[in-house]
Amino acid sequence: MLPADCSSRLVAELRDALDSCAQRQRQLERSLRISRRLLRAWEPAKTPVPEPTPGPETDEEVPSSAFTACSPSPQDLKELELLTQVLEKAVRVRKGISKAGGDKAPTVKSESTATSPATRASTRLRASDWTGSHASETKPPRGIRQTRVPAKDLSEHRLVSVEDPACIGRGARAAKLEPSRRSQETVPLAAPQAREVFTLKDKGILLQLPVAFRKAASQNSRLWAQLSSTHTSDSGDAATTAKNHFLQKMQTTSGWPSSRLSPAEVEAEVGRLQKACSLLRLRMGEELTADPKDWMQEYRCLLTLEGLQALAGQCLHRLQELRTAVVEQQLEPWPEGRLPRASSPCGGGADTIRSPPLLLYSSTQELQTLAALRLRVAMLNQQIHLEKVLMAELLPLVREQEPLGPPWLALCRAVHSLLCEGGERFLTILREDEPAD
Amino acid sequence: MGRRRRRRVDPADAARALPEAIAVLTRTLPTGPSPETFRRAKFDRPEAAPALWRLLFCVLSPMPADGASPSLALEAQARSVKAALRFQGYPRRALAQLPDDGSQGGRELLLALAWLLARGPTLEQLLAQSRVRLGDEMPVCECESLASPGPAVPSVEADGCVDIRHLQWLMGKLRFRWRKLMASQQEQCALLGKIHSYTRGCHSDRSLGHLSVTETELLRDPEGGQQLLQRLERENVRLEAALEWRRRELVFWQWMDTVLGACPPEASQPTFLPKIPAQGAAELELVVRELQALQEELQGVAETRWAAWEARVGGHGPEWSASRRALQEAVRQDLVALQWAWERGGGLAQPHGPHRLVRTEAGAPEGRGLQATEVIEVLRSREACLEVVLGQLQGQCRQELARLVGTLPGLIWIPPPGR
Repeated sequence: MLPADCSSRLVAELRDALDSCAQRQRQLERSLRISRRLLRAWEPAKTPVPEPTPGPETDEEVPSSAFTACSPSPQDLKELELLTQVLEKAVRVRKGISKAGGDKAPTVKSESTATSPATRASTRLRASDWTGSHASETKPPRGIRQTRVPAKDLSEHRLVSVEDPACIGRGARAAKLEPSRRSQETVPLAAPQAREVFTLKDKGILLQLPVAFRKAASQNSRLWAQLSSTHTSDSGDAATTAKNHFLQKMQTTSGWPSSRLSPAEVEAEVGRLQKACSLLRLRMGEELTADPKDWMQEYRCLLTLEGLQALAGQCLHRLQELRTAVVEQQLEPWPEGRLPRASSPCGGGADTIRSPPLLLYSSTQELQTLAALRLRVAMLNQQIHLEKVLMAELLPLVREQEPLGPPWLALCRAVHSLLCEGGERFLTILREDEPAD
Repeated sequence: MGRRRRRRVDPADAARALPEAIAVLTRTLPTGPSPETFRRAKFDRPEAAPALWRLLFCVLSPMPADGASPSLALEAQARSVKAALRFQGYPRRALAQLPDDGSQGGRELLLALAWLLARGPTLEQLLAQSRVRLGDEMPVCECESLASPGPAVPSVEADGCVDIRHLQWLMGKLRFRWRKLMASQQEQCALLGKIHSYTRGCHSDRSLGHLSVTETELLRDPEGGQQLLQRLERENVRLEAALEWRRRELVFWQWMDTVLGACPPEASQPTFLPKIPAQGAAELELVVRELQALQEELQGVAETRWAAWEARVGGHGPEWSASRRALQEAVRQDLVALQWAWERGGGLAQPHGPHRLVRTEAGAPEGRGLQATEVIEVLRSREACLEVVLGQLQGQCRQELARLVGTLPGLIWIPPPGR
């Protein structure tokens, strides 16, 4: 059995490592659930397809109403009725033609769109196909185009064409009506009624983000850019002076010396010195593995080693200063139950404020490699930290214990496995017993 | 100079400026208390206190990534706030002496809030933390993993001795969790890749090209999309308020001076605060020990080689001292650069923070953002370094144990195979 304080410290460290792993796993599971659901067939939406509120100009639309269902006026209903009649007629005509040897069934029509990027261009493409084959029906196809496509297979989803005034053509209020839901019910399409299911794989490129969202998102990024650009501008000079004055006054009225280090600063500095230590060690390793060819290179190597030693000394000195400061000023460096860092340690200052920069990848393989490496680096960091802690606690135990009987050997074996093999492998200890005679 | 408008200070304007400034401030803060609370706080009215405790709690503790933070009671919040402020070095002791039940201290809390706002870009940081993330983001540095707080105070159940086998068991559990994590991560990347490629060409922003999971999700689920839109709009409101705050904050700081003036002066001799056993002190000790070990190693290595070098090279002519000086200078600069890597402001050359993932065709024009291949290179070299470090540590342990056990007669030590 291990002594109590050693036990509690080690168990706490290991539990902490386990918890951080568990937290990552939870986040991943959440993302996985969402992604898997997106790649399956989408269920039809419960709420009606969103549409900007009907009106002659919807430029000043209130964004929050973009998703709210709007009930069409009687005039709109009448027009919709007209439209559906036209639609039926067109379907009949179409069917007639296709029976006569046309190959394009209405369903195929929509599949062909999968090949072109889903922009307004694609809807116009379809329109031209239509008009090409029905030269006589120039007006209805335009009207049909709007409601047909959404009604046909993507009833659950928001295609863009209805929102584009250019596509709508002259005064076609019809375009502003709610497509799909109601038209679906009122239009007994002669075309195959099989409600096609939406999968991202087949029809993902037909998607488009709603207007309100796009506006809000672009406004959002614009505001962030503004916020970060005025961060260091001159507009706050007087304010900065006032702030500093206030801080100073706070300090002087508090009765504590201003040179006092806050626990946050101490911790930050210890972290920096920790980083210094690893960088120095790394550099030392490089110098030691390099093979100097001549005396000049050797000289340089030795100078570097000397310099590294001096830097290490400086860091040590600073650490000792910190240690005495902590003791002297009665700091409680890491108070009980302290909150995790409020500010992220990385992303120096202004960078976090702008929109996140882009990370470009070209294949799934690449992305997977990247993610795997990130995890591996995090895991190694954790392993190194645990290794150091275990070394600090367990090696003294092995050293101190005098009775060299089987319990001590068992301890040695366990410690060896933990410290030297990462707990994965065990060694064997053979003991020579005295020959029994 | 010419851009600054010369305003005639209208007394009515001046009187309005402060309430307006405070109103703007409350719009930017996450759980904006009403402006009335601020006014009450100046006069130290008790009803202002709870709202300000809650606000400070919000400001000082980041939103947990899980999104599900158990709402703490006011007392617990008050205690956290005190601990966090002490951690940051808040100078006034009066706050530590406020009762935990959150019933008092409006003025002191107001001062604390102002202190936090004055010290750093607090508002911007708050906004950045809770910002609506529209893309699929991945951090490219490991700062977050390194910065995790040390173990909390050991829970009571861990009291008492454990067998070393318990530790071995925990290690095994940890290894398993990592493996599982790796597998899940690979799956998530595959799914992301699919979603990105299936939605290419859909985004209105050409530089992005395809939709992210969040954006696709909002199309799949209009209700959720509605909520996302609302969050976005709320954030826009807060951002606008933050921008306006910059124009108006001067009058707030002038007012805070008066609030500070209204406080009774604190005693100059600090009273003894109870000492709490510090976990972080152990961290400090660890680093000290590491540095000492490093120093010893460096010394040991260099000594013999210097002696050999001196013996071989002796004295040379004048060209020797010139080249010697040149080398010294070169090494000095090298080391300065190295030092810069850990000092303040160093390390910014490396990309940091979360980046939005964007799928492009290979060979796409550069300059749009960070390439995954570069990051992979960096991570690979980092991985190699860390493996070396871990190997060294393990080697040290092996030597030490062999030394300890090797002195005993009659033992054969068979290391495990596969090394």
